[in-house]
Amino acid sequence: MTSSVTKPNTIDAILRACRLMLKMIGARPEPRRSEELYYRMLGDYYTRLLKAPETGDFVAAHTVFFPSELLYAMDILPMHMETTAWMTALFLSDYAALLSAGAELGLKSEICSPHRGLAGAFSSRALPRPNVILWSNMVCDNTAKSGELLMKITGCPGFFLDHPFQQTEPETAYLVGELEDMVHFLEDHSGKRMDWDRLAEVVAETDRQVELLRQINTLRQAVPSPFSPQGFLELLTIDYLFAGRPEATEYLETLCHELTEAVRQGKGAVAHERFRLMTLFLPPMYLMGFLERISQEYGAVSVTEPFFCSWGQGRLDPSKPLESVAWKSFMRPEMRMYGALDDRALGEIAESARQSKIDGAVYYADVGCRHTCATIKLFKDVLDDMDIPVLTLDCDVVDPTVTSEEEIREKLERFFELMEDR
Amino acid sequence: MKALGIDVGSLTTKAVLLQDGQVLSSSVVLSSDTADLSARSAAEQALHRVGLGLDDEVYVTTTGAGGRSVSFRHQQKAITTCLARGICHLFPSARMAIDMGAESMTIIKVNDRGRLCDWANQDKCAAGTGVFLQQMAKLLQVPLEEMAALSLQARARADISATCAVFAESEVISHVHRVPPTPKEEIAAGIFLSVAHRVMALCKRIGIEKEVAVTGGVALNSGLVSILQEEMGFDLLVPEAPQGVAALGAAIVARESIEGGTG
Repeated sequence: MTSSVTKPNTIDAILRACRLMLKMIGARPEPRRSEELYYRMLGDYYTRLLKAPETGDFVAAHTVFFPSELLYAMDILPMHMETTAWMTALFLSDYAALLSAGAELGLKSEICSPHRGLAGAFSSRALPRPNVILWSNMVCDNTAKSGELLMKITGCPGFFLDHPFQQTEPETAYLVGELEDMVHFLEDHSGKRMDWDRLAEVVAETDRQVELLRQINTLRQAVPSPFSPQGFLELLTIDYLFAGRPEATEYLETLCHELTEAVRQGKGAVAHERFRLMTLFLPPMYLMGFLERISQEYGAVSVTEPFFCSWGQGRLDPSKPLESVAWKSFMRPEMRMYGALDDRALGEIAESARQSKIDGAVYYADVGCRHTCATIKLFKDVLDDMDIPVLTLDCDVVDPTVTSEEEIREKLERFFELMEDR
Repeated sequence: MKALGIDVGSLTTKAVLLQDGQVLSSSVVLSSDTADLSARSAAEQALHRVGLGLDDEVYVTTTGAGGRSVSFRHQQKAITTCLARGICHLFPSARMAIDMGAESMTIIKVNDRGRLCDWANQDKCAAGTGVFLQQMAKLLQVPLEEMAALSLQARARADISATCAVFAESEVISHVHRVPPTPKEEIAAGIFLSVAHRVMALCKRIGIEKEVAVTGGVALNSGLVSILQEEMGFDLLVPEAPQGVAALGAAIVARESIEGGTG
């Protein structure tokens, strides 16, 4: 199953973009050290992937919210597929070509665009062929189905990690069993053995990272908020790509220090903070530059993203590494949108709005994500009760043909006016 | 200083001149190729009527599809903000307004202080807009102005799609050409009903709250307003000049800026 069009290597292009970003950061009068570390990490991650055919690294392509700690502990090179798709949209503005390649495979526009694009990317060889495909039902059934198709396209063996919906004792035990099965699968196909001591070290590192993410989240609640308006995407990438990696801890420690210092000095991320926002779901990746600019222009900062940055309670225990990996998956902020959105989950959103002192919320309604769009009314009602206005922006996370920059600008400006006028 | 509000719409451009909270004059012109020319023409007409010109002391606030492109504006505001100001000035009891323009439909909700609190709009499909009605009138070979009276004579309503302008068009063609053809008054009433269904769906997105006003050029169509009232189940507030409400709101914003010292 290949596309009629062969695309240039996407990873090579992402790498070039990272190098360019580093140059731009270096040229700034006061470069943010954590930002520099971030792009270095990204660069190193994609360099290893690019060189994998030469170095003989075993590459496991995996879907989002996957326990990459296990891969790092086995010295297996992870390739986060959705993030790579987002990077393509963010840096290359060339996602339309991958969607076209996906359409050639018969994937309809109703299917989640990152998954259509991923299929297109593999079939047009814009992404290198991995050694195995790993996928799960986290966080939707598009993801659950995607892996089978990717196995067919790439001809790779694959493993489906069946993730339970709720955190009960039997379900946690079931997940641990699933993780064990996956380790056996990886051992069989890679010829590498799981290093349990190494996994314990990775878990200890992850535990520290989760703590730092919580601290950063708290620091972002300061008025004015010290972190860049759309900076939370960096935090997502850190956990998605580098969970348990020491360089990620260094990044988070550096960022934490920078934010602490900014809060101490009362320094906000935008010159004049006017609107504190809650972001619900993912903004369009191809508009990140624009969103950053308009945020600066209007003094609008995303200060909380309950589905991405509010980590659940609990600590990880390196003496129980596999269990810890399972626990972590239940602590993820994204778990709030997995399973029933009950009063507790909705209450947490209200609490997050209160603590972060938000003026409004922006709901990025990804037209290809029926699961999230079904929640618009629920969240709107919760926030309406608190007299917090909600802007619902119909868009697509990677497909630029759904909503233009001009449309988004017009709606955001209306929303800023609405908040200002209250 | 006088306050001038200009709403640059896709079909017409409206201007309202205010002084001390009173409308001094207003104008409506057909929009030309450029927003700047349309706005200038509407502004000059409104100002000329009271012996003024753009060189006089006038604070200009623009809104609408082309509001941003007006070179002589002092300020540009979103249509939603201006509609809220305009409708609350005319009807302080209104909590909701349905603005039906030439190419878009906007629903706004306002609070008891006359401030905008929510909105919903549709600008992706022509169904339910002024240009859609123009096209339907053409298909029926009836002047648009007569469609309202025609629809009020209907004893039944033809079944017309509310979801898509293209589907609606082919359904109207099929009603016109069937044997015997569906009476024109029933088709006209069916078209208005389809628009009313579309309006209702959009209103429900933000929740219907009484009292409800209708604005925009389409609100001049009494046949459509009558069916919309029937669907809503209560009377709607219709301003004397519904197409000028956003321009009036822009003028009120201009006045606020003058009073607030920013003008």
